[in-house]
Amino acid sequence: MAGVRNRWAIRWLRSQLPELVASGVITSENAQAIERHYGHDEPRTNFAFVILATLGSALVAAGIVLLIAHNWDDLSRATRTAIAFLPLLIAQALVVFTLMRRNESRPWCEAAAIFDVAAVATAISLISQTYQLQGTFADFMRTWLLLSIAIVYLLRTTLGAIAYVIGCVVWLFAGWGMFSPEGNPMLFWLLLVLVVPYVAIRFRHDHDSRETATLVIILALAALFGVGATAEFANAHVGAIAYAGLATVIYLCGMKFFPQATGRLHPLAVVGGIAIGVVTIVLSFESNWHMTYYVGSVSRSSTANLAVAVELLFPIAAVCLAGFDLLGRRAAFSLSAALLPIFAAVAWAITHLCELPDNKWHSTSCSFAAATLMNCYALLLGIDILARGIRTNSIARANFGLLLIAVLAICRFFDSDLSFVARGVGFIIVGLGFLVANLLLFKRRTAS
Amino acid sequence: MNMLRILIFCVLALAQVAVPAAMVWQREQTLKQGRVWKFRTAPVDPVDAIRGRYIALRFAAEEFNAPVKFESGNKPVYAVLKQDTDGFAEVDHLTTETVVTDDVVPVKSAWWSSGKQHVSFPFDKFWVAEANAPEAERAYIENNRRDKQNAYVTVRVRHGDAALDQLFIDNKPLSEYLRSHFPR
Repeated sequence: MAGVRNRWAIRWLRSQLPELVASGVITSENAQAIERHYGHDEPRTNFAFVILATLGSALVAAGIVLLIAHNWDDLSRATRTAIAFLPLLIAQALVVFTLMRRNESRPWCEAAAIFDVAAVATAISLISQTYQLQGTFADFMRTWLLLSIAIVYLLRTTLGAIAYVIGCVVWLFAGWGMFSPEGNPMLFWLLLVLVVPYVAIRFRHDHDSRETATLVIILALAALFGVGATAEFANAHVGAIAYAGLATVIYLCGMKFFPQATGRLHPLAVVGGIAIGVVTIVLSFESNWHMTYYVGSVSRSSTANLAVAVELLFPIAAVCLAGFDLLGRRAAFSLSAALLPIFAAVAWAITHLCELPDNKWHSTSCSFAAATLMNCYALLLGIDILARGIRTNSIARANFGLLLIAVLAICRFFDSDLSFVARGVGFIIVGLGFLVANLLLFKRRTAS
Repeated sequence: MNMLRILIFCVLALAQVAVPAAMVWQREQTLKQGRVWKFRTAPVDPVDAIRGRYIALRFAAEEFNAPVKFESGNKPVYAVLKQDTDGFAEVDHLTTETVVTDDVVPVKSAWWSSGKQHVSFPFDKFWVAEANAPEAERAYIENNRRDKQNAYVTVRVRHGDAALDQLFIDNKPLSEYLRSHFPR
C-alpha cells in the first residue's frame, strides 16, 4: 500500500509543479529537476489488474471452448486438432511477449506460466480425445510435468513450482498407488529432483519470503509421500529408517537453513518436528517391527535395489547434517530429535537378531525389544521437548512435548495388558503434567 | 541473458507442440493406412460403462477357448487376429514375437482360467464429448446387453499400432446414432 500511496503523491506533486513555478515558489529549473528525479518511476503493473485480466481471459477461453464443445462431435478431426493447438500457440506467444517486454513483472510471469502450462494440458487432452488415444492418466501427468518444468525456470514462477511439485504427487498416486503395484515410483524422485535447483535459486535470492517457505514445505510433504511409495515398492523393511531419516532431514534443514532471530521456529522446522513426533509414535507400536524372512529370500530387481538406496539416503543425510553442525559446535537443534534415525536403525538391527518368522503377523522377543527401545526414545523426546519449551518460555513447544507423552501413554494403555488402575493412574499423571507445565509457563510469562 | 531465455523457450515451445503433433502424426498414419478390423463389444456392467467422459469397452474377442495357459515369461504379448464368418475380429493365437504386420495388436494383460484364455486389448476407452456423455451411455447400454448385442468398434491396425476409429451402434457411428435418436 505504501508504494501505491507514493505513486499517488508523485502524480499529485507533478500536477502541482506548473502552479508552483507560476507563483514563484520554485524555479523552472527546480521543476525540471523534480521531473527528472521522478522520471524513472514508471507506473508499475497492478497485480490485481493482471490477476483479473488472467481470470477474464480464462473465462472467455472457457466460454469459447464450451461453444465449440457444443458441436464438438460435428467437427472434423482436422478442425478439432487445429482448435486443440490454438490455446497453446496463444499461450506461447504470451510467454515470448512476457520474456521480451514484461520480464521483470512477477504477475505477468506467473500468469503467462500458468496459461502456458494449462494450454499444454488442454492440447494433449483434446488430441487424446480426438484421436481416441488410450494412455493412462499417469502417462498424461508424466508428459505434462516434463513439458512444464522448464517454464518454472524461464519465468521464475514459484506458484508454478508449487503446482509442479503437487503434480508430481498426483502422478505418484495415479501411477503407483498402494493398490496397483505395477511399474515403479522411482520416476517420482527424478521429477522432484528437477525442481530442486529452482528451490536453491529461491533460497539464495528470497530466503525469508512466504513463497519460499511454502515451496520448501510442499517439497518436504511431497518427499514424505514419495518415501511411502518407495518403501512399499522396495519391500525391504527399511521404510521405518527412511521415514525417520526424512523427518529428521526436514527438521534439521528448517533449523539450519532458516534460522529465526526471534527464537520462533521456521514453518519447515515445525513440519519436521511434527513429522518426527508422528514417526516416533508410529514406530513405538510393536507391530511395525514385525519382520519376515520372505523379503530377503525373493530375487530383487535393480530398480528395487535403487529404491532401497533412495530410502537409505535420507537417514544418511540426516546423520551428515547433524554431525556437521555438532562437530562445528553450531548445533541449534534438539539433539534428541536428531537422534531418531539412529534409534530407528538400532531398533531395526535388534529385530534382525532373532530368527525371522515366515509370517509378518508373528511377534518375536526382538520385535518387542525394538518397540521397547522406541517407546523409551519417544518418552525421552517428549521430556526433552517439554524441557526446551519451559526453558525457552514457549507454550507451544512445551505442549507439543506433553502431547507426545500423552499420545504415547494413550497408545500403550490401549495396546498393552495393563490393569484399569494402572491406566487410570497413568492418565492422571499425564493430565497433571499438562496442568502443572502450563501453569508454570503462564506464571512465568505473567511475571515477565 | 534475456535473449538466451527466449531462445531456450523457443526450444521448449517446439517440444510442447511436437509432443501432441507426434501423437497426431502417428495416429493419422494408422487411421489412413491401417487395416480395418471390426471388434464386437461385450456386455458390461451398466454401472461401469461410463467413466467421466469415456465409455469403457470390453470385447467378445478378449476371451477364447484355449486348452493350455499361454506362457509369456514376462515378455510383451501380441494377439494375432483373424476374421470370423461374420467379418468380426477374433484372436487366432498369442505370441511374444514382435511382429509388425497389420493383423497383430499388442495385448495389455493376459490370464487363463478353466480352459479359457483372457486378454485385454489396449483400446478400451472410447472418448465422448461431455455434452453427449449421458445419451452415449444410454445408447451403449441399451445396445450392448446379453439379449441385444448391437454394437461394435472399428480399429485400424498398422505395423502393430492399433488405433480405435469409430464406435458403431445399430450399424451407425455413435455421433450419427445420437443425432437420430436424441435430437436436440
